[in-house]
Amino acid sequence: MVGCGFRAFTALLIMSAVTLSALALAGYVTPASSVVLVRGAGATFPLPQILDWIRLFTPTHPGIVVSYLGIGSGAGQAAFFEGTTNFCGSDPPLTHKAWLKHHGRVMQTPYLLGAVVITYNLPGLGNATLRLTGKVIAMIYAGKIRYWDNPLIKELNPGLKLPHKEIVPVYRADASGTQYIFTLFLRKSAPSVWRASWVSKVAKFPAATQGFGRGGKGNPGVAEVILHTPYSIGFVEWGYAIEKRMPVAAIQNAAGKFLKPSVEGLEAAAAEAVKHLPKTPLGDFSRDLNYIVYANAPNAYPIACWTHLILWTHYKNPAEARALATFLKWIVRVGYHHILPGYAPAPQGVRELVLKAAQILESEDGAGAGG
Amino acid sequence: MGRGRDKVFFLTLLPFAAAVVAALALLAAVFVRESLPIFLREGASFITSATWSPSTNPAKAFYGILPAIYGTLVTSAIAVGIAVPASACMAVFVNEVLPRGVREAFSSVVDVMAGMPTVVYGLWALNYLAPALQKFVMGPLHTYLGFIPLFACTPVSGYSLLSAAAILTVMVTPYTFAIVKEAYSSIPLKYREAILSIGAGRFETASTMLGMIKPAVVGAALLGVGRAASETVAVTLVIGNSPSLSPCLFSPGYTVSSLIATQYGESFLYPYMLNALYAAGLILLCLGLGLSGVGTLMMRRWRGLRNA
Repeated sequence: MVGCGFRAFTALLIMSAVTLSALALAGYVTPASSVVLVRGAGATFPLPQILDWIRLFTPTHPGIVVSYLGIGSGAGQAAFFEGTTNFCGSDPPLTHKAWLKHHGRVMQTPYLLGAVVITYNLPGLGNATLRLTGKVIAMIYAGKIRYWDNPLIKELNPGLKLPHKEIVPVYRADASGTQYIFTLFLRKSAPSVWRASWVSKVAKFPAATQGFGRGGKGNPGVAEVILHTPYSIGFVEWGYAIEKRMPVAAIQNAAGKFLKPSVEGLEAAAAEAVKHLPKTPLGDFSRDLNYIVYANAPNAYPIACWTHLILWTHYKNPAEARALATFLKWIVRVGYHHILPGYAPAPQGVRELVLKAAQILESEDGAGAGG
Repeated sequence: MGRGRDKVFFLTLLPFAAAVVAALALLAAVFVRESLPIFLREGASFITSATWSPSTNPAKAFYGILPAIYGTLVTSAIAVGIAVPASACMAVFVNEVLPRGVREAFSSVVDVMAGMPTVVYGLWALNYLAPALQKFVMGPLHTYLGFIPLFACTPVSGYSLLSAAAILTVMVTPYTFAIVKEAYSSIPLKYREAILSIGAGRFETASTMLGMIKPAVVGAALLGVGRAASETVAVTLVIGNSPSLSPCLFSPGYTVSSLIATQYGESFLYPYMLNALYAAGLILLCLGLGLSGVGTLMMRRWRGLRNA
């Protein structure tokens, strides 16, 4: 485990170098007709996983070069609709409005599961795991619980010695999908405490606006602030907590069970959520995060999430469509057996959506009007 | 012949000078154009409100940057307020006390500090300075001087306005020192001889000579403010990033630069947010222009007094 972060970083560097040189080769050395370049950009959350998939995919598929840049979900969507990229990775699905606008020509599907975890810096706790409910976390971020020895926290953690110290809630200073998932979880699990207007990528809740919390930029920023602020609490992507070896709280799910994040917990949440999804990638997924966050299943980790691929049904260059279809089918067949720590593979219902998207891409005429 | 060559020489220089001016004019024009929508929409409340509330619903979106302006002014003022006197003391120390050999070494170390990438300062402040300040400075200040509003709130975390001001002080000092030292050591020897000849001691010499380089000190202060206000990375890492307004230095805040840095990434998802960030940048630009105007005036007055 030691040096995991450094290894990941080196791997990332090497992989970007490989991708870049592959790009250069595709552009300048090999005749353009024999190699198809598929360009993607968007969310940074799945970036390590996608790069790892590309690393595994490339040697066995010499005719296809897949590239992916982590520029953020919003920028990724903009680049996709401008035609700069062939596909987009986006943490949130398309909004209902955006979906309506491109209805019939655009496809989307979740494809990778992740989790937001609650982490903390509580000196003197040892190896004990903190147990929390959505309501208690909501009250902390709303400023209604200010000290660690609050009776509501004590009640959940009868064996722990909690100090009379002020809690410092840490949040994301930048607009972030992780923060959206976190605030959506608080709204769904504690609607009496957490206002609907606080569900946002942007920190608009009291911990930020009243200044008793601290904001960090990105997952690294939040992690550093927590690590250096005794008695703080915060949220990061699961993979980040694993890498930084941060303690992770067990959170009560909708069925009343206290769970730490696990691959099984994410799969359980996704399996429940998939029942509410459209049966085709052409459908409207705009509300799908509502189903996976705080999913009503006995073993579901409560702050689960998934990230989406956005594609056209039809590409001007049919080779690009075929290459994308190949990559999607490869992800389901092989990629899901190579999942990095911090993620979980998609459950059956979601795999069917990914395969259906591949099928639509492969059908000669496309499913809708040309994109 | 000679005049013809002069003209050619002048004409070859013109494009470069014109390019700089044009770039500046273009930049200003873009900033004005991009910030206009937010000023038309919110008017003065853009500057006087402390509510920063982006929303995808244009009717609900509102952007007020008072906390960021306040944070910029407070952190820059503290940083320059400490850096300039410290630089003056350092300049005297280097020139009057240090032996010649050590003097060069000392100056080059400070020059290296001035040239270091700001993110290095930021990481150091994030991991060491802010936690240390919380423990050894903010704690005692709060315990013993807590009755002063500046130190009234409990320092629950190192990430605060004070830490931002502290790292800015560290970053600004090498700049101000370089200017003040250069001015101090370029005072002609005859002045020093004159001062010494009337029997002045070391302290009197130093204070008289410092008085002679007032314009350099003012210039250093202005440059320092400019540098402090425009610093982004290091400040973002330690200031705590909260759009709240508090007189207490231990509370988190924003500066205009750190606000732009943290919010720009996803700004085009929110109506008017990009305009608000441009407008914030424009205000920073105006602040800089205003300050350099004040500086120029002060220099002119000072020169006038000297020539009279």
